[in-house]
Amino acid sequence: MSTESRVNTSPPHGSGWNAAASAIQPLYNLFVAAEEVVLTVDLPYVNQKSVKLKLPTKDSIEVYAETTKRITFHDLGANHRHGEFTSYHAIIRMPVPVDEKRATRKFKRGLLEVHLPRTR
Amino acid sequence: MSANLSGNDGLRIVETGSVPKGAVVINGLPDVGLVGLLAASHIISDLKLREVGAIESDLLPPMIVLHGGEPKAPFRIFSGTGLVVVISETVIPGSLIRPLVNGLVDWARDKNVRLMLSLGGMAVANRQDIDVPKVFAALSAKELEPRLNGAAEILEEGYIVGAYGLLLRKCVATGLPAITLLTQSYYNYPDPEAAGAALTAVNKILDLKIDVSELLKRGEEIRLRSKDMMHRTHEEMNKMNKSHEYDLPPLYG
Repeated sequence: MSTESRVNTSPPHGSGWNAAASAIQPLYNLFVAAEEVVLTVDLPYVNQKSVKLKLPTKDSIEVYAETTKRITFHDLGANHRHGEFTSYHAIIRMPVPVDEKRATRKFKRGLLEVHLPRTR
Repeated sequence: MSANLSGNDGLRIVETGSVPKGAVVINGLPDVGLVGLLAASHIISDLKLREVGAIESDLLPPMIVLHGGEPKAPFRIFSGTGLVVVISETVIPGSLIRPLVNGLVDWARDKNVRLMLSLGGMAVANRQDIDVPKVFAALSAKELEPRLNGAAEILEEGYIVGAYGLLLRKCVATGLPAITLLTQSYYNYPDPEAAGAALTAVNKILDLKIDVSELLKRGEEIRLRSKDMMHRTHEEMNKMNKSHEYDLPPLYG
């Protein structure tokens, strides 16, 4: 087994669920183009207005979004799992430096798309 | 032909119910946007198909899935109204693809299957801006084009990576008619709208009346419920260089 595969970054209960924060980690994707980094985040049950973007440090971006309703794992078919969440939360490492002040975003079909211009 | 095109490495298709002869087989394996899996699962529930078998292999992870409290194999076969639907509720490891394709085609020929119809996704960068995803078709033989009934555009050049690519080639080699429908979708987000577009094409090709309204209405729930499955599928697609499909096609054919 390689070193990387022994380092498990997701919690053992799956879904990237943080019970204390009542949040789960959304699916996201990063694409590094020549001039910009494009981040997309899949956010079902989210209104555009509740999406918040932050850059906690120079090399990462934080996405937070409240869901339009409280969602339990029971609602999602996992009857044996107790718990619920009311938001999505992810801290995503930027592979190259970006200028967050010039970031543009759009939200369509429940998908957030953020364009972050590269600084080099 | 190489040994890879014939061996099935202990893959077992276990029938627990009756599988009709001369049926159409619809494959809904997890890949891009989970289009095939979502579409095929919807066919099973909308047409109330019965479980008639399972695909078992030592190459699958040691697991079962519980449905209604009953332990089930994650890779199962359903049937009803002259259709046979194959779905996998677990990620198919790359090492299983060749034995799976060989085993499935041998089994299909034994059942005199008249058409292998495989459903998958084709990632597009601007998926968010597409209202009605387009459906493309790869055929085992040119003569199958009229069967499409205008529901899909022919895919003339390009790569198909994964089970559906090998399946198409094995079908050509054995003379089994096969159509692979690839619907425009997100790459690594579950895409119920794309599954709906795929089913609209299936309705036209097979003259069925599968109702897609429920699938679209439950879109957000389906996206959330299949999030973890999508995540695991994405990891497996990366391993088998699925992104190869977006390369320019080779120059000489």
